[in-house]
Amino acid sequence: MTFDEIIDKKLWSVRYEGNFDNELYRLLDEWGDVELLYNFFPQHINDLSYFKVSSIDDAIQDTLDDRDELERVFLDSTTNIEELFRPLDNRVVRPNEMEKMKSRPEKRRHPSWLRVYAIRLSDGKYIITGGAIKLTKEMRDREHTRQELVKIDKVRNFLKDNQIFDDDSFVEYLEAI
Amino acid sequence: MDRVLEKLREHASPTPSRWREVAEYRQANLDWLKEAREIAIKILSKMRIDGITRGQLAEMTGINPDCISQVLKGKEKVSAETVEKIENALEINLITQEYSDRLIY
Repeated sequence: MTFDEIIDKKLWSVRYEGNFDNELYRLLDEWGDVELLYNFFPQHINDLSYFKVSSIDDAIQDTLDDRDELERVFLDSTTNIEELFRPLDNRVVRPNEMEKMKSRPEKRRHPSWLRVYAIRLSDGKYIITGGAIKLTKEMRDREHTRQELVKIDKVRNFLKDNQIFDDDSFVEYLEAI
Repeated sequence: MDRVLEKLREHASPTPSRWREVAEYRQANLDWLKEAREIAIKILSKMRIDGITRGQLAEMTGINPDCISQVLKGKEKVSAETVEKIENALEINLITQEYSDRLIY
């Protein structure tokens, strides 16, 4: 596991072993792949009713539109990274260091549809661990979103094992959960 | 926190990420990219209705399977010749007149 600096001293993305680029690259690429989306949505057609989306074609078009907007946000030099993420746990008001985070809904068609997941290091500093098309209330409800929880934990453990994050703060975090 | 930044840099990837370069290219080319996506959606939709596989479409059109794959991803410009072959094979209209005028013949 290695890290790519996405925005200077503010945002990084994990590059997992065997991948030729990082998670942000992968997500923006896959969410723009029509054939891949066409394979994904028929498997999740029943989850679309919550979003009042009735056809696979509409689901794909909405995904592409939201992807384009998300890409613009990451490219925009005026983007406030802190406003881009919020705690994964909706009950958390003030996130701790090493908090699991998710991308905030911006000007997108479906607020929770495309999710980028990250770990918060400190104010304004984040590491992207992955992302998913989230169509259910809980991440554990579907295998592809459950895997994202596994990835967040994997990265957090890597940060600890390699003394990348301050040990004391990490202990404080563990005691808090 | 500076120590954390230093540590992260110690674990930096061996090659630079291309995310920004690729993202900027996409954003600068959204016009034709949206057309390419629309074409891909129409083709995949018709293939699904008619029960046609990617391999069968390649056979029906005489188009290289790799080229078919690129068209279905909706990420590449599609040539007029390719559009015409697929339109004829699937008996559908894939493009708007405006986009047709901009296609490479």
